[in-house]
Amino acid sequence: MPEAYSIEQLRAQAFSLFERLGLPGRKLEDWKYTDVSRLASTLGETWWQATSEQPAFSAEGSIEDLDAYRMVFVSGVFVPAQSKLPDGVDVLPLADLLKRAQSDDSKALFKLDTDAPLMNGFVAVAVALAQDGLCACIADGVILDKPLYMIHVGHGRSHVLSGVMLGTGAEATLIEHFIGSTDEVAGLSNTVTYARLAANASLTHYRLQQEHAQQYHMGRVEVKQSRDSRYVLHAVELGSSLSRLDVLVKLAEENASCELNGLFVASGRQHIDHHTRVDHIAPRCVSRENYRTLLDGRSHGVFNGKVVVHKGAVKTDSSQSNANLLLSKKSEIDTKPELEIYNDDVKCAHGATIGQLDQAQLYYLTSRGVPEAIAKELLLVAFADSVLVGMKDKTVRRFIERAAFAKLPHTSGIEGLTHER
Amino acid sequence: MASNDEIQQHLNEREYSAGFITDIESDTLPPGINEDVIRHISGKKDEPQWLLDWRLQAYRHWLTMKEPSWAAVDYTPTDYQSISYYSAPKKSGDGPATMDDVDPKLLETYEKLGIPLREQAFLAGVKNIAVDAVFDSVSVATTFKTRLKAAGVIFCPISEAVREYPELVRQYLGSVVPQGDNFFAALNSAVFTDGSFVYIPKGVRCPMELSTYFRINAMNTGQFERTLIIADEGAYVSYLEGCTAPMRDENQLHAAVVELVALDDAEIKYATVQNWYPGDENGVGGIYNFVTKRGECRGHRSKISWTQVETGSAITWKYPSCILKGDDSVGEFYSVALTTNYQQADTGTKMIHLGRNSRSTILSKGISAGKGQQSYRGLVRMAASAEGARNYTQCDSLLLGDQCGAHTFPYVEVKNPTATLEHEATTSKIGDDQLFYCQQRGLSEEDAVNMIVNGFCKDVFDVLPMEFAVEANRLMEVSLEGSVG
Repeated sequence: MPEAYSIEQLRAQAFSLFERLGLPGRKLEDWKYTDVSRLASTLGETWWQATSEQPAFSAEGSIEDLDAYRMVFVSGVFVPAQSKLPDGVDVLPLADLLKRAQSDDSKALFKLDTDAPLMNGFVAVAVALAQDGLCACIADGVILDKPLYMIHVGHGRSHVLSGVMLGTGAEATLIEHFIGSTDEVAGLSNTVTYARLAANASLTHYRLQQEHAQQYHMGRVEVKQSRDSRYVLHAVELGSSLSRLDVLVKLAEENASCELNGLFVASGRQHIDHHTRVDHIAPRCVSRENYRTLLDGRSHGVFNGKVVVHKGAVKTDSSQSNANLLLSKKSEIDTKPELEIYNDDVKCAHGATIGQLDQAQLYYLTSRGVPEAIAKELLLVAFADSVLVGMKDKTVRRFIERAAFAKLPHTSGIEGLTHER
Repeated sequence: MASNDEIQQHLNEREYSAGFITDIESDTLPPGINEDVIRHISGKKDEPQWLLDWRLQAYRHWLTMKEPSWAAVDYTPTDYQSISYYSAPKKSGDGPATMDDVDPKLLETYEKLGIPLREQAFLAGVKNIAVDAVFDSVSVATTFKTRLKAAGVIFCPISEAVREYPELVRQYLGSVVPQGDNFFAALNSAVFTDGSFVYIPKGVRCPMELSTYFRINAMNTGQFERTLIIADEGAYVSYLEGCTAPMRDENQLHAAVVELVALDDAEIKYATVQNWYPGDENGVGGIYNFVTKRGECRGHRSKISWTQVETGSAITWKYPSCILKGDDSVGEFYSVALTTNYQQADTGTKMIHLGRNSRSTILSKGISAGKGQQSYRGLVRMAASAEGARNYTQCDSLLLGDQCGAHTFPYVEVKNPTATLEHEATTSKIGDDQLFYCQQRGLSEEDAVNMIVNGFCKDVFDVLPMEFAVEANRLMEVSLEGSVG
C-alpha cells in the first residue's frame, strides 16, 4: 500500500524545496553550460507564478491528421471542450485527480523525491504549483488503440505535472507536443512527466518541442521500469529560446530495456540542453541512446548522457552515441557522455563525434551530378534521419520530419524524399 | 567464477618491492606551515627576494582556497599543519661537488631501486640516461651534467637553476601553471623544495634521455617538487620520471607541479612511471598523489606528448594537460592506470585547442581490480580560433572483479565548426570467450589474463621509451601475477 499523504502536504513540501533551491546557478555541475539567470531578468522576480488568463485554443500547429485521444492544455490548463478522452481507461486531468479524496496508487506516483538526481527548483515549483496535467492509468493487459496526444500551448508562464502508469502487459503511446502561442511574448513552460511501467509494459513516448522563439522551456521525464518492460523516447527539440530537458530512467528490475533518441535542430540564439541519466539497477537490462544535434547560427547545444551501472546489475548492456554537426562559425556544442560503473560483468560503450559535413561524401554526390545545395541537404537529412527512422508512428514521423527539415538550413524542394519508405 | 577469485588473490598478494626505508640522518623542519616556514625553505636554498615574494604570494592565495572535492575519490583529508615541508639528508658543507661526495647510503638506495647514479655504471651498461635523483626535499645527485653542458643542455635541480640561470627561471616559472591555479598547485608554489630544471637551446636535440627519480623516505613529510622543462625553437627532449616511497601506515602527500614549454618546432616527450606506495591490501597507508602537470605548445608546429603508467599511490588526482596555442601544434596523452585493492585514481587529461590545425590524441586505458575505483576525467576544448582542429579520444576500461569501479567523465566543448572530434569509450571485463580461447590452446589462466591485459595496454606501451616499456611491462606483470611467477 502506498503511504497515505495529502496533496496539500505534497504541495507544501515541494514549495519549501523550491524556496530552498531557487534558480539553479552555473556553479552547479549540472548547470555548468546553461545559464538560466536570464529567466529572472526577462520574466521578473516572480517568473515562477503561473499566468492566470488563457487565450482561446486554435489547432494550428498541431498534428491535425493524427487519429488520437487529444488532450489540450492551454497555458497549463486543461481544455475539456477541445479534448477527447478514451473510454474505459482511467485518464483524467490532474486537477480532477487531486480532488479525489482517497489516496491511491496514482497519487503515489506524484510523490516528491527530494534527493532524486538532477533535482532542481523547476521540478519543485512544478509539483508545487501545477494547475493541471494528465494522469493516465492503463490497466493490466490493456493495449491502447490510439495514442494519447497531449497538446501544450505555451503561453505566458505555466507548470504542468503529468503521470502515466502502465499495468502488467499494458501498452501505450504518449505524444507530448509543445506549441507556442502566436503572441510570442516571453514566458515559461515548465513540465514534469512521470511514467511507471509494470512488468512487460511498453510505452512509446514522443516529445516534440516547438515553442515560440521567446519561450523558456523546462522539462523533466522520470521513468521507472519493472521487469521486461520497454520504454522508448523520441525527444525532438526545435523551438524556444532556451530549452532544458532532464530524462531519468530507472531500470529497476531484470530485463527491462530503454531507448532514448534525441534530435536538436537549433538556429539563431537558441540554447538547447538535454541531460539524460539511466540507472541500471537490476541484472540483464539494456539501454540505448542515440542523440543527434544540428546547430546553426549562434545556437548552443548541450548534451550530458550519464549511465550508472549499480552493484549487482550484471550483464548490463549499454551503449550511447552522440553525433553533432556544427553548421556555423558561432555555434557551440558541449557534450559529456558519462559512465559510472560499479560492477565488472558489463558491456558499456559510448561514442561522441563533432564535425561538419564530410567533404568526401559531398564530393561523391556532386561528382555524380547532384547540385551542391541539394547534396548538402541530402547529407543533413541523412544525418537527422538516424533518429527519425526509429519512429514507428508514420503520421507523427512525417509531421516531425517536415518540421525538422523546415528548420534545416538550405532546405528546399527535397521534402518528398524521405516521406514514404 | 573461480578464475576471478584467483586473479583477485594474486592481485592482493602483489608485492611492493620498493617499500624499504633508508636509514639516513636527515635535516627535517618541524611540522606545520606558515610564512616563516616558507622563508626558512627559501633561505635554505639561497633564493633571491623575487622568488620568496612569489612563494609568499602563492601561500596567501592558498589560504583563501578550499581543497577540491569534485574528484571521484574518497579519502581522509590531509592535516596540512601536521606534515613537515622540508626534509633533506644531512650533509656537510655545500653539498656534493662530485659523485664521490654523495653519501654512499643514498647511492645504495638508488642502486637498490635500479637507478645507478655512477656514470661508469651507465657507460658500462646499455642505458644512456642522465638522472636527477630527488630524495625527499632535495636533489642529491645529477649525472652527465658535463656531457649535457657540452651540448648546451641545462639539466640541474631547480634550486640550482634559480641561482645560476635566474632569468630563465623567472621568465618561465608559473607561466604555464600560475600560482593560484588550483589548491595543490598553490600549495606547491608556496613550499616547493626541489625538482628538475631542463632547458634545451634552439635547434638542439638532447643527446640522451633525461630522467628524474623521486624518492620519499622521511616520515611525516610531504614531497613538493617542481619541474620546469623548456624546449626552445626546434629543440627535442625526451624526459622520464619515476617515483617510489617506503611502505608506511600513514598517508603521505605528494603534490608536484610540472610545467612544460615548447616553442616553435620544439618537441617534448614526457613519460612517467608512477609507482608510489599504494597502501596495503586493507587500504592502510599509501601516497596521496595530487599532481598538476601541464604543457604549453607555445610555438607553431610544436609537440608535447605525455605518457604515463600509473600503478602506485593510494589516491591519484592527476590531469597532465596540453594547451595547444601554436598553429599546427600537437598534443598527445597516453595512459595506462591500474588500481587494485583500495586504490583510487581520478585521472585524465585536458586538451585546450587554440591554434589553427592543432591536433590531439588521447588514449587512456584503465584497469580496475579488487576494490579499486578509477575515473577518467578529461576535457577537450576547441576554441573559436581553433580552425581545422582535430581530436581523437579513446578511453577503455577493463574490470577485474565485481567490487571495483570504472567511471568516465569526458567533457567536450567545441566552438568551431571546422573542428573535428571523435570520442569513444568502452568498459568491459575480460570475456569468458577470450579466456576460454586462450586456455583451450594450452595457456594457463594466469598467462591468458596477463596476455589479454598486455594486449589491452599495448597501444600505450608501444609509445613508451624502450627502457620504460620494459619496466612498465614488468610492473604490470608483478601487479597481476602476484607471488606466482
